[in-house]
Amino acid sequence: MKNSFKILVTVLLFVNSISFAQGCSDAGFCSLTNHDNSEKTTKNSIEAGFVFAAAEEDVTVFSQYITYSREFNSKFSMSFKATSSTANGSFGTRGNFGDAFITGNYKLKSKVEDKKWSIISGIKIPFTSANNKINEFPIPLVYQSSLGTFDLILGTNYNFKKWDFNAAVQIPVININKNSFVKEFSGTNLFETTNLFERKSDGLLRATYSHKTKKFIFKPNVLLLYHFGEDTFQDTFGNRQSINGSSGITINGNLIANYKLNSNSSLETSLATPFVVREERPDGLTRKFTAGLSYKYNF
Amino acid sequence: MKKLLFTLLLSCFLISCEEEGELTKTSSGNSINSSAVLRYSGTFNPTSGINVNGDAKIYLEGTNYKLKLENFTITDGPDLKVYLSKAETPNDFINVGNLIPTSNLTYAIPNQVNFEEYKYVLIHCQQYNHLFAIAMLNMN
Repeated sequence: MKNSFKILVTVLLFVNSISFAQGCSDAGFCSLTNHDNSEKTTKNSIEAGFVFAAAEEDVTVFSQYITYSREFNSKFSMSFKATSSTANGSFGTRGNFGDAFITGNYKLKSKVEDKKWSIISGIKIPFTSANNKINEFPIPLVYQSSLGTFDLILGTNYNFKKWDFNAAVQIPVININKNSFVKEFSGTNLFETTNLFERKSDGLLRATYSHKTKKFIFKPNVLLLYHFGEDTFQDTFGNRQSINGSSGITINGNLIANYKLNSNSSLETSLATPFVVREERPDGLTRKFTAGLSYKYNF
Repeated sequence: MKKLLFTLLLSCFLISCEEEGELTKTSSGNSINSSAVLRYSGTFNPTSGINVNGDAKIYLEGTNYKLKLENFTITDGPDLKVYLSKAETPNDFINVGNLIPTSNLTYAIPNQVNFEEYKYVLIHCQQYNHLFAIAMLNMN
């Protein structure tokens, strides 16, 4: 009976996510962890989750991730996250491993109990060079499970009472993107050419408000992303071209609901929608909406 | 519940799938009209470690040029492209399309191409920047 109730709550939360979802845009590091306010007594945690998203045009993306985190002491913790995804649309279906994220979180000293600062740094390692194909045909970046860049991630987190603020940058350091999608050879004009794509850095600002009940934590948040500069590709004449409108701001709304199953585990659902998007999104990261479900176990 | 979730996620991770769609089905693509006139042709020569057979033929169809690879076979490569090039190396080139063995290997050529300058057809692996084959074009 108890298990049935948990499943029912999970399903209701998930359905609720879908029904309200309208859209989201993601820069790959949107999932930087918020300050963990739970009263944990364990040092390790494993989180596994999946996200369903409606992407550009007729593409849907189903992505999965697994995260292992460890607190080494009261100040320092590290996380390892691996992702994979499968995209489906007019080009067909393509799935593969995505990226690995290795991040460290260091909590700074604070004299006031309800004010907490921490700094985050990490790297993103791609599992592919963003040139997965279907039937030997090159496919757009929205179908790729990774953008094929090694990125540096630097950020900070400030927690004050029920508010949590994040600021971060994601800087592509090494580009191994070998995508070879050329619009003129594809049979459709719906996706921009991303042949040998080179992307610019992203900045992130996020504000989250947490409301706790006995079993639930609701975390509505606003996520602002800024893409610093226009992405480029190599055209059919071998010249590098900028993609006009690919720089600029994206603003998303995100609602997270966390349900505490017991002292060591919890379920979390999230939904997200964009309010403002860039004019051009050749990286294929833009989502009309996302709905996610994850399970976390502390040990 | 815990086991079910992990099993589901693990199975998702292990699936690396590929399924063709409307835009990735092998199609006839470009074709050469029987009234087209053969203007240039050349035979492919391989680079080291590559096997290649066949010819590159440039047809004039109305006011448009088209390239057709005839009797063509080549060693498998991960990301092969067909270039019109000013030299035997892929430095100054025009990418005319993907080399997909199951397609009819016919490519449209941009109108502004001057074949006095673009004398070569190259088969080049873009992903690993490796040249596979070269055909020098001669006027017919």
